[in-house]
Amino acid sequence: MVQPLSGQAIYVVLLRELIRYWRAKARIISSLAQSFFFLIVFGLGVGGFIGGVGSISYLSYLAPGIIGMGLIFGSVFSGVSVIFDRQFGFMKEMLIAPVSRTSIVLGKILGGALTASIQGVILMVVAAAMGAFAPSFMLVVGATAAIGVMLLITAGFVGLGVALGSMLKDFHAFQLLSTFVIWPLFMLSGVFFPIDVVSAPLQAAMLLDPMFYGVELLRWCLLGVGSPLLGPFGWLISLGVLVGFNALLIGIGTYIFARTQV
Amino acid sequence: MLSTLLKPTSGAATVNGYDVVKEPDAVRQSIGYVFQDPTLDIELTGRENLDFHGRLYNLDRNLRRQRIEEMLETVQLTDRADNLVKTYSGGMKRRLEIARGLLHHPKVLFLDEPTLGLDPQTRRSIWEHIQRLNKEKKITIILTTHYTEEADFLCGRILIIDFGRIVALDTSDMLKAQLEGDIVSLIFEDPLMISKLRPIFEGKNWIRRVYLVSKGDNRVNASKMMSMVHEMAGGHGTGGASQGSYHESGVGSRVPEPIHKIPPQDVGSKFSTSNLAPSLKRLDLLVDDGGRRIPAIVKLVDEAGAMLESVELHKPTLDDVFISVTGRNIRDQQGSFTEMARRFHIMRQARGGQRHG
Repeated sequence: MVQPLSGQAIYVVLLRELIRYWRAKARIISSLAQSFFFLIVFGLGVGGFIGGVGSISYLSYLAPGIIGMGLIFGSVFSGVSVIFDRQFGFMKEMLIAPVSRTSIVLGKILGGALTASIQGVILMVVAAAMGAFAPSFMLVVGATAAIGVMLLITAGFVGLGVALGSMLKDFHAFQLLSTFVIWPLFMLSGVFFPIDVVSAPLQAAMLLDPMFYGVELLRWCLLGVGSPLLGPFGWLISLGVLVGFNALLIGIGTYIFARTQV
Repeated sequence: MLSTLLKPTSGAATVNGYDVVKEPDAVRQSIGYVFQDPTLDIELTGRENLDFHGRLYNLDRNLRRQRIEEMLETVQLTDRADNLVKTYSGGMKRRLEIARGLLHHPKVLFLDEPTLGLDPQTRRSIWEHIQRLNKEKKITIILTTHYTEEADFLCGRILIIDFGRIVALDTSDMLKAQLEGDIVSLIFEDPLMISKLRPIFEGKNWIRRVYLVSKGDNRVNASKMMSMVHEMAGGHGTGGASQGSYHESGVGSRVPEPIHKIPPQDVGSKFSTSNLAPSLKRLDLLVDDGGRRIPAIVKLVDEAGAMLESVELHKPTLDDVFISVTGRNIRDQQGSFTEMARRFHIMRQARGGQRHG
């Protein structure tokens, strides 16, 4: 059933995501704290042990990855929340309204991307306050670009979450999802170690992880460097991969969501 | 299907003049739907839930505000409107859902089991809301329910669906009129006697129909019994008062007070203040002028050597209509696997409303 998009419907679903995000302060705080612990323990602890990666400190190297972690967890769970909408019945209220399912899912994706990116921006500020990024005019430009990158990363992962959430019928699968989808995506994204120093099989696995390109892009924005493996135009490659990944997952998420029964 | 959530396998239907397959959005704009299970966002306030709905149905800001106030007023939730829905009671949630279903001024309102699991007081207040909406706003209301008394109380027209087929469609009075006469229910001490007595009753030309009811409902039996006791004590032979008492005392699990005053021999059966055993088997007889026939019926039972636990007399209720058209007692299915398939659907058509298909 092809139906026209409704800006109003997209907006109202998005608005609901924002309100719910704002109300769940415990969730915001706990996920921020988790990222913060990672920054402290790994950035200062492991950093003190190994020094740095190339010319940059380990904390600086780590920070974009930890921001990425906040983004991926926030966005996938935001997408998967369609399970809760279904479980608590609110899904029916949305589906019975005279608006297309595509509008609903796009609202969901934009809302999820926005809330996860807000989380990312907060982390970016925290990391900057910890001295992860050298203050300069370029950093302001880079940080602005990073916000755009965050929205790009999260939109795709909310799409992934919506697709998974539409297929899974209850939240017992939640744990599985976290263990087998989110953690691998995060671990392989090159947060802790550069891709150039690992063995070929691991390199291949990392290259298959869309989040790797997200973290790569964030590093370009915030530190001005990327992995030597992707070359001087690594940011362009990463951007291309992310855009493709986005289009694919938003498409899949929308398609699966529109086809699921109430 | 009429709500466009499911696609029909065959046939066609229109709601408010719109085809449910070809014009789903127009249909959706014309209907309000209150689902059986709660569909509110409990993390939002009552007002936000309504606002969300208003936006989804494309009401502009001013209209939205005005209608939200109006609806909150209607369901008496104005003072709690800005609290999170998760702090609401079951009845408040239900009322909020009804308010939401009406916010966009639908022509047809679907209510799926609107009072399921609510206490009698809340149920009564929701019934009053429903009646007011129907009368004042001229909204066609289609409601499904398992409660025959709810259908009786609210509905203009009643549709009974058994195993997916329509088995009856008429006004409550007309449905009951099909069972002209009185229902005499016999409850036996020994269920085995039923098979012996059934052919005997069926052989009598003054007994119009015999229904086998496998399980009586304790509470209803108790209250129905009370009405009969009143009649016997007053020496009247008609069941005129039964229905009233039935409605008034339909809840409460203890056997009502007046029974103590009746010595067992007066009724020719064994009344006691103890509860009726739920496993008792029951035969319902449809007879003309039931009060006068009771002695004859009791005599037949005596001749057959059976012991009666109790005798009840009442005017046919929707329960009896249901048993008559489906051949089963609705109470027997509760909790059974086939319940879903045997939903008791009741439909109401308002005088002022318009509904097709």
